[in-house]
Amino acid sequence: MEHSEIKKLIIDSLDADFDTAEFPEKLELEGIGYDFNEDFEEKVFKTIFSEKVLSIRDNEFISNLSLLVGRVAITGIAAIIILLISIFITEGGSFSINSLVGLGDVYDEGLICLLGGL
Amino acid sequence: MERLSNIGSARELYRKADDDELVRASLSGDKLAFSEIVNRYRKMVARLVKGMLEDSVYAEDIGQEVFVKLYNALPGFRGEAKLSTYIQKIAVNLTLNEIKRRKRFFSTFARTGDDEMYEYEFVDSSNEEKREAKELVDKALKSLDPKFRVVVVMRMLQGYSTKETAEILDLPIGTVLSRLSRAQKQLKDILEKL
Repeated sequence: MEHSEIKKLIIDSLDADFDTAEFPEKLELEGIGYDFNEDFEEKVFKTIFSEKVLSIRDNEFISNLSLLVGRVAITGIAAIIILLISIFITEGGSFSINSLVGLGDVYDEGLICLLGGL
Repeated sequence: MERLSNIGSARELYRKADDDELVRASLSGDKLAFSEIVNRYRKMVARLVKGMLEDSVYAEDIGQEVFVKLYNALPGFRGEAKLSTYIQKIAVNLTLNEIKRRKRFFSTFARTGDDEMYEYEFVDSSNEEKREAKELVDKALKSLDPKFRVVVVMRMLQGYSTKETAEILDLPIGTVLSRLSRAQKQLKDILEKL
């Protein structure tokens, strides 16, 4: 096909009423075809599945981290319970704010001396 | 050997399958089904992406991104639109984003380097005449503003009607018609000089 014919085809294809349904095939016959490289499909699959592996790794990391945080939290709660029980036992079966914060045996005078450095 | 022949017959089966069947099989993890989708629509995506990005080296990457996005979006695909329309929409969005990104990049860093990034490859152009014909189309498309170029690519390279073009681009039909008419005027002037 001559260049002038191709130019006319291009211009005509933009008319609103022009039926362009078979236009891509027509152009392809004239060498105006587009395609990707031969390894295109392979690259698409490589990208999809390497992304999947990465997301699986991310998920594994997050689940390991939450397991670790959970274990630390359980250990902490157990330590607090043991501490409370030991305070309860040493205080002879009673709980008070002072005994919890360790001020059970401190008198006002002693506290003033301590803070005043006397 | 038997496995290979099974793969061969599965490919043959998928070649005859419709899009809905391929989507369902891909969702159940069948790679061959998705491979058939890629093969069925790769040329359609290539025409759009390479037509818009002037056959540049980036077009290959954007093309891959289109199918990666499609694969990830398949669970949300309800089949209300045709699969080809769905793929076109993904391709149009990615391509227009890439054009915007490149415009920003080149206006900031390397305005003059723009043309050096293009790699012209003349697929299926067995002789000089065909090569020149493709060059002519590429040059004409390149000279248009992206918002006109996209409607020209949809009509001329993809063969869509104005109604389908409006649907894929999410534009009112009146806008598509006015862009087509303006693009036609611009192309007339450009092609006269080429």
